[in-house]
Amino acid sequence: MSAFIQIRDLAKSYTKGKVTITPLEGLTLDVEKGDFLALMGPSGSGKTTLLNLVAGIDTPTSGTLQIGDHDVAKLSRAQLAKWRSKHVGYIFQLYHLVPILSAFENVELPLLLSKMSKAERREKVNSALELVGLADRAHHRPTELSGGQEQRVAIARAIVHNPELLVADEPTGDLDRESADSILALLSSLADDHGKTIVMVTHDPKAAAAAKRTLHLEKGQLVTATAV
Amino acid sequence: MLPFTYAVRNLLRDPARLLQTVGGSALVVLLLIAAVAFNNGMDGVLTASGSPRNVIIVGKGSEESIERSEVPLASESAVATSVRGLSEQLGQVAVAGEIVYQAPLTTSSGKKTQAFFRGVLPPSLLVRPELQVLSGHFPGPGEIMVGRLSAKALGVPPSDLAEGQTLNFEDQDFIISGTFTAPGTVMESELWLDRNDLATLTQRESLSAVLVRTDGASIEDLEVFALQRNDLELSAIREDRYYEKLAQFYGPIKVMTWLTAGLVAAGAIFGGLNTLYAAFASRIREMATLQAIGYNRKALLVSLLQESLLASLTGTLVAFLVAVFLLEGRTVSLSVGTFVLALSPTVILVGLVAGVLLGTVGTLPPAFRTLAPSLPKALRSQ
Repeated sequence: MSAFIQIRDLAKSYTKGKVTITPLEGLTLDVEKGDFLALMGPSGSGKTTLLNLVAGIDTPTSGTLQIGDHDVAKLSRAQLAKWRSKHVGYIFQLYHLVPILSAFENVELPLLLSKMSKAERREKVNSALELVGLADRAHHRPTELSGGQEQRVAIARAIVHNPELLVADEPTGDLDRESADSILALLSSLADDHGKTIVMVTHDPKAAAAAKRTLHLEKGQLVTATAV
Repeated sequence: MLPFTYAVRNLLRDPARLLQTVGGSALVVLLLIAAVAFNNGMDGVLTASGSPRNVIIVGKGSEESIERSEVPLASESAVATSVRGLSEQLGQVAVAGEIVYQAPLTTSSGKKTQAFFRGVLPPSLLVRPELQVLSGHFPGPGEIMVGRLSAKALGVPPSDLAEGQTLNFEDQDFIISGTFTAPGTVMESELWLDRNDLATLTQRESLSAVLVRTDGASIEDLEVFALQRNDLELSAIREDRYYEKLAQFYGPIKVMTWLTAGLVAAGAIFGGLNTLYAAFASRIREMATLQAIGYNRKALLVSLLQESLLASLTGTLVAFLVAVFLLEGRTVSLSVGTFVLALSPTVILVGLVAGVLLGTVGTLPPAFRTLAPSLPKALRSQ
């Protein structure tokens, strides 16, 4: 049986002025369904570039990137947007909640892209908020929530449309230890109990320890893999 | 698509910006509708004042200004008897010799003002069927009939021009005999009095012009008459062409109106663009987040347009409300005549189109700039 994410000879380069920068070069990697993978490495190692490629918000220069049944590297910008709306949940370091919307409305955003009744949407949003433990904060605006709570809302937003893949860019980078631990526990539970495949970029060894597997990148290449 | 409420709430995100955008849009739209209403009013009064069936006979060389024209008294009867195909009513040929004159007058309340007089006899009504006596009667000797808009044109209280009031002109008192209307024409701001009275007071022995209403006769027939009677030194011009020429004379005023409106509008548009650039720039990351969720750029562009259109159309509504109170029905007096500013369907359409263009064309450059950065770059922005 083939891996959920299959990356073969993946490269990404771009030109800045007269200089060509290659943050990722010839990377090959398999990620199984339900895996919780941590990507570590120094700044400029290519871990965020890899995360963005896996999330479909950037396109590779060469190589193949197969996620589930989709050859993501070959999708157009519009096709990528549609694919993301169905298959990916993105969790940002700084939560990226829309400040003028309540927690409920923020979580509802991905569902507005599908043909779903208002009642169905309400049910799914309430379930997602309940799963992250914030059902009682549904009508609060982001400014009325703590950092940990904001990140929980962001996670609810990432899972509400039931994507197979969650990508997280330093999800605990802006949180205190207690909040960070609770977010990592939530992510582990999503992988273990709900079968989500999670790819997480982190600088924090403790966060990486919560993952099932940690990959180290350096100069755009995979250097070591650590299994937990 | 993003819900419409998202656009509405974004609009309320920064009340100061909202106020600036609505105010700027209102200013631009108000200026535009004022300019259109002004130019429409001026065009309208000049167009309505000239009938293609009327021919003005003026002194040779005075084709561009009746006021400077001198036509011998004999011309009136000469036209009436020499040219066939003129309009007739109860045996009376529609030929009216008139004297026009500008001079100061004093109202009964003591207010002194410059007025435009027209010395007429009853045949003037035959050449101007659109003219109606609203109250009182056509002026006889010692009387003056006032146009419906003359109070506004003269800048005097309407009570000063009420029927029965006295007007002093060239040291002689005249009783106001009535009020007349001639919708949309320059005559509505004039004062009409007996031609013989005006000739006596101004010691004038000639007419300013002879107005002829045709009924089969062509302009060429009257031009031939003018050429044949070279002893009278006359020239014939169609009345509508005369006012068209007059309108051309006011072209620079129209250009100035548009230029002023355009310059202020350009300032407001650049100010608005600057505001939108700043407002949208602060939301680059939010737009990128929505794209990461799965919204495409088109959906985000539509939402930004909805937001701007809401603001600009609110501004348009404000502009119309202000226009109803400040512009609608306001009388503008120029030397060519007096007209009323009106929020006509054309003016309303121009205002609405301007509002929509401000909300769309004005939004596109900042919106494109907001949505242009690559997603990874936009997600990293502050």
